[in-house]
Amino acid sequence: MKNILMLLVVGGMGCSLLAQENKSQEYVKKVLENTEVELLYSYYNQDGTHASVTGGEGTEQLTDMTPTIVVSIPVGENNVLTLDAGLSAYTSASSSNINPFDGRNPASPWIESSGASRSDVLSYVHPSFSHSSKDRNNILSVNAALSNEFDYNSIGFGGGYTRLMNDKNTELGVSGQVYLDKYNPQYPIELRSGFTGSFGSSITGNGTYTPQFVPFAQLKRNSYSGSLTLSQIFTKKFQASLSMDFVFQEGLLSTPHQRVYFADKGDFFIEDFQLADDAERLPFNRYKLPIGARISYAFNEAVTFRGYMRYYYDTWGINSTTASVEIPIKISDKFTVYPMYRYYVQTASKYFFPKDVALSTDLYYTSDYDLSAFNAHQYGFGISYKDIFTTAKIWKIGLKSIDFRFNHYERSTDLKANIFGLGFKFIVE
Amino acid sequence: MKKIMLCVLGLLSFTSCVAVREYEKVSLNDEEMKLSSKDLERFETNFQIYREGSAGGNGGKTGGGCGCN
Repeated sequence: MKNILMLLVVGGMGCSLLAQENKSQEYVKKVLENTEVELLYSYYNQDGTHASVTGGEGTEQLTDMTPTIVVSIPVGENNVLTLDAGLSAYTSASSSNINPFDGRNPASPWIESSGASRSDVLSYVHPSFSHSSKDRNNILSVNAALSNEFDYNSIGFGGGYTRLMNDKNTELGVSGQVYLDKYNPQYPIELRSGFTGSFGSSITGNGTYTPQFVPFAQLKRNSYSGSLTLSQIFTKKFQASLSMDFVFQEGLLSTPHQRVYFADKGDFFIEDFQLADDAERLPFNRYKLPIGARISYAFNEAVTFRGYMRYYYDTWGINSTTASVEIPIKISDKFTVYPMYRYYVQTASKYFFPKDVALSTDLYYTSDYDLSAFNAHQYGFGISYKDIFTTAKIWKIGLKSIDFRFNHYERSTDLKANIFGLGFKFIVE
Repeated sequence: MKKIMLCVLGLLSFTSCVAVREYEKVSLNDEEMKLSSKDLERFETNFQIYREGSAGGNGGKTGGGCGCN
């Protein structure tokens, strides 16, 4: 977190200097008039019965809180530097069961353990810089991404180019992104060396517990993506966009702490907890092709329709369709409410098996229900307050907007979740 | 795939004949008309990337950068 704060301070000082150098030039309307600061926060909780850490059966209780700050700083007339930094702090009952034998609670996939893997914090910083041409028809951008959590770290970078044409009625964008990630695997406790020596006398079952597990040799995961976006204004009240991504991932795409139980192997337990036959094994590459379309239509000054559709295909056998609508309704000059609904459906990955169905002779297998066949409904509402004149001021900081969103999510595989989001946007004059 | 190509061609065919002037874009410039996710939507997109097998096609992450898909 210290590094993130340092980046914000140094970035801000550098931008102030650059801004002063440009004061003598002739006046051009800036891409961004003032520094903007956004403070965002979300709270997420979920519960379900198909935890992947415990092989597709067990509690999925999880809570996650994410304080985030986004600072956008104008640099001269044509450039904007953005620093996006935040935390994601979670506690997870299923992750706690990487080691369910804490000696305090009975070992069970339905009971949270008090071990170290019960909680973790992901911290990240995403700096980005964009440059617009004087006629504002060409925009170049570059970005970087750094994130870290106990068992995972990532470095990313990317860039993009956007061209506006036809009196800014048409927009064509291309971009690319690379993530270079690395796992610090936390295998289920029973798959670690020395386990049977310590717990051997507590194991129940027919025969001797001999899991098939071999630690992963490859711990890196690289992701490469290219995107193409086309937006078009059709009328004074209607516009649409189409975006297509092409994604290639290679390396360790399995999650090392997710257990799998085989149909052709004996079952072994300590208390009520079944010991893993292996960790999930997934192919070392994956191609993804998502194609999304958005439309927005203004019925009148008060009511707008926002729609989104996506089709997704990947080489693991998942095909999915997403459709969502949001209808913002202005109830006064400053307040807008918006009900929203999202529907999602996917086919199962060809490597997905429910608990005790995969065979030890299979090459790839997982019991992660996120890769199973399901459909999901998400519905909620949002309220936003906007004051373009920023009349509420403290010193040189004016409040521009406040946003709140709430959504409830229900998956056909027993998972339920709620998510709240709260955001404040300030202008620094 | 044919449907997608038709959509792209449909969009491209409009690029040469439609020209809404800047002063006519009052409705289009409204914050609610933006053809992108809202700032707060990032958190929903993030949990969906974890809880669903697919990602991308929405201007958000397409994979990588976290232990999700």
